[in-house]
Amino acid sequence: MTDPQELTMEELRDRIRAAGVTIAEHRLAMVRKLLADALAPVRALDSRTIKTVEPAVTFTPAREVGNE
Amino acid sequence: MNEETFYATIRELGARYRKRDLSPVEVTHALLARIERLDPVLHAFVTLTADRALADARAAEEALGRGDGRALLGIPVAHKDIYLTRSIRTTGGSALLADWIPENDATCVRRWREAGTVLLGKLMTHEFAFGIQLPGHRFPPARNPWNLDHIPGGSSSGSGAALAAGLVSGATGSDTGGSIRGPAAFCGVVGLKPTYGRVSRAGVLALSWTLDHAGPMARTVEDCAYLLQAMAGHDPADPASSRAPVDDYLAPLARDIRGVRIGVPRAYFFEGIDPEIERAFEVAIETLRRLGAEVRDVQIPSLHATHSFLLILMAEAFAYHERDIRHHPELYGDVLRERILTGALVTAAEYTQAQRIRAQICREAAGVLREVDVLVTPTTLKPATPFTLAQDPEFGFPKSNMPPFNLTGLPTLALPCGFSSSGLPLSLQLAGRPFEEGAVLRVGHAYEQATTWHTRRPPL
Repeated sequence: MTDPQELTMEELRDRIRAAGVTIAEHRLAMVRKLLADALAPVRALDSRTIKTVEPAVTFTPAREVGNE
Repeated sequence: MNEETFYATIRELGARYRKRDLSPVEVTHALLARIERLDPVLHAFVTLTADRALADARAAEEALGRGDGRALLGIPVAHKDIYLTRSIRTTGGSALLADWIPENDATCVRRWREAGTVLLGKLMTHEFAFGIQLPGHRFPPARNPWNLDHIPGGSSSGSGAALAAGLVSGATGSDTGGSIRGPAAFCGVVGLKPTYGRVSRAGVLALSWTLDHAGPMARTVEDCAYLLQAMAGHDPADPASSRAPVDDYLAPLARDIRGVRIGVPRAYFFEGIDPEIERAFEVAIETLRRLGAEVRDVQIPSLHATHSFLLILMAEAFAYHERDIRHHPELYGDVLRERILTGALVTAAEYTQAQRIRAQICREAAGVLREVDVLVTPTTLKPATPFTLAQDPEFGFPKSNMPPFNLTGLPTLALPCGFSSSGLPLSLQLAGRPFEEGAVLRVGHAYEQATTWHTRRPPL
């Protein structure tokens, strides 16, 4: 059975088709590694355990990134 | 002019100008000759602006004669070639913009010009600040003055190389995942990624607008403070620009660091580290303790998910480049094209989850920074990468110690903390609370004054 956290070559090709871009065949393994490494933390995430991102619109102008 | 004058600090140059011991025109002529001699090998400069530099130097000399006291008057600088410069070509290190001449200066360029600096030219950047140039690229990559077979780091590669080689006293850099701090680390110089929103990015080519930071690079912490002072401040042309007041960045340097609380987040930052860097880091920690700092370990658990920052970076980079890369893919270098196109493969949900992870990291870092004043880590896991490895198509995008501070937007300083047995520079990274650049500069300056790493010169 395929590991749900793995990015298969078939899934990569599906994503490329859906995005309408062209990536050279001999570079697919590299792109797969680049994307799979970046996706790994997201795929390991239980999205119910993390707070939602703050709304994009806020009316507290003093608030800065990283300040609580 | 003797060799050491090329490595004079901003304060030293200013003092000598005012004593009439040295003139900006004399320094500029000497630097242009030095660039002509060294740059054919280093490739730090994309464009040399000799006429402009001499005009700036003459104007500075006249101003000095009138008693003008600006700290950056007559100081030789250059800009990373993603900063727009009016009437001077701005290539982004890319064939796409190879002959583009902007009509306006970036805000930072204008501010340094108004501070009286002398503009020597434009500095090499990795292509659009994201793709290392492979052999045959229109713009050959800059080389590391400490060892020409190694990269100077990226993407502010020319900035790091030019500073280490004594070709400029200050340079701009930009930092989306470490592009100020990496070249600073690999070239044995100092780089400051300010707080997100502290320095305007208006007129700086975007890579990933929620992660991009503009900032200064120099050879000492004090020089970085001078340069930041002249570039920080609100700019309505950058939507992320903060209205927080600009501090005096020089004043904290006069204070010692007794009682400063320093946290070491050991998890994440030491995974895969080179033993020589780890040893240099532990010695640096002892130095900070000896200077009176209180050092203890801290935890930021969600940092293990840092690598998801690449989803944000690549998706935003694709959004920015989409039209050009779809219509003119041939004008993008191989490495960059692949990285940007990977951004097209990130789903909306994945981008959103990466931003949620980011928010979690920000919350945890803010919590830790209520307990300590500054965080300290090694800047990089290894010394400068050899070209043979960096240009290997399989090299990819390895784990790095720098992106956590792009995600959090915290002010972060990289400065030298030793050398490897092969003679390559090693570096320390200090991060502080939002808009507390003064705190990281203070700790960095105290450490720098207690060590001699910044006084070593590359074998040119």
